[in-house]
Amino acid sequence: MNCLDFRRQLNIDPHGMAAEFVRHRQECLRCAAVHERALGFEATLRHALAVPVSGQLADSILLAQATRQQRQRERLRNGGLLALAATVALAVGIGMRSQSWMLPTLAVDHLRKEAFVLAMSQPIDDEEVRKAFAESGVALDHVPAGISFVYCCPFAGYHSVHLVMPENSGPVTVLYLTEDAVKQREDFTRQGWQGRSVPLAHGTLVLLAHDTSHFDQLESAWRSALEHPRGADQARI
Amino acid sequence: MSSKQRQFDALVRSLSGDLFRYGYWLCGDEALAHDLVQETFLRAWRALDDLRETAAAKAWLITILRREHARLYERKTPQFADVDELEIADDRDAHAPEFAGEENLIRNAMRGLDAKYREPLLLQVLGGFSCEEIARELHITPAAVMTQVFRARQKLKTLLAGGEQEAIVHELP
Repeated sequence: MNCLDFRRQLNIDPHGMAAEFVRHRQECLRCAAVHERALGFEATLRHALAVPVSGQLADSILLAQATRQQRQRERLRNGGLLALAATVALAVGIGMRSQSWMLPTLAVDHLRKEAFVLAMSQPIDDEEVRKAFAESGVALDHVPAGISFVYCCPFAGYHSVHLVMPENSGPVTVLYLTEDAVKQREDFTRQGWQGRSVPLAHGTLVLLAHDTSHFDQLESAWRSALEHPRGADQARI
Repeated sequence: MSSKQRQFDALVRSLSGDLFRYGYWLCGDEALAHDLVQETFLRAWRALDDLRETAAAKAWLITILRREHARLYERKTPQFADVDELEIADDRDAHAPEFAGEENLIRNAMRGLDAKYREPLLLQVLGGFSCEEIARELHITPAAVMTQVFRARQKLKTLLAGGEQEAIVHELP
């Protein structure tokens, strides 16, 4: 690299670390001095472009997001969701008890819509899990270990808590429908997913994964959390 | 707080400042830049499922912000037509007048730059993106990006030098 090439490159990327660029800088004192001045200019340029940012910016964005989300929830609650629930209820009959055959398909559809959460692997705080269940009116005796995602999702017209539990054999999706219980425990296969639905406390626990090896252990863990010693009747807040 | 909400909060807190600065230099108006950033994050919330890699979040948000900015121009003609007339409040003026003077010169020079030179330079200096990343974002070739950031610096230095010859800017023997 000659001096002309070096100075061209200096105007393209003064922080460049290409071997030829660095070598020329080390070998040519004149270009090294130009480089020093160029870095000084870059620092001033960067400083000049860094216009002051309001300290309230992040908070105001989060407030706008929370407000918009709340409005959407209200609209759904008042209109769309009721209409959808009514349509579903009319189409398939009233209540999950009489339509438990729909549950596996609906659960897998829901999982596929939110498949991105399966990639989450970092454990979240127990408090987040408790809060999500509390929002759905359910008190947990304790929080089963190893949860990486939790969110309250409207699901087939029901309140549900959607969780992900990473296991050695792959992530397990856990859905707890808080308002209706299936008649009996059932294992199923839908669209390549293995599943299990279990009546638990006042609701239904659904487990979905590609591998069922952890289903028994997880069912037991959630039974213990939801049907705690104070009695299942007291689990509801 | 859900995981999604937690991820969103972290994005807002870590990147809203950078996006605001980028938005400001894109549109030249503080209030509008605030609105652009807010709308960008509200759209990002709805599409957060599309974000597979956190490392790519900044580029993803910049793309949304640029689209929002383009939509804004489709909808209406902004009131701040002449970006050259705008001044930025600088709370450091009182403490460091010598730097503030030089920075103001650079800011004015930036405002005088054509958008096709200003934007790649912003993405490089504020965004920290490589020429290849900028090329992808702007849908031009890496060679074109190199030419534009080269000319952007050259023009800035020329403007700062009071319009002297580019040979002086190059500082060639």
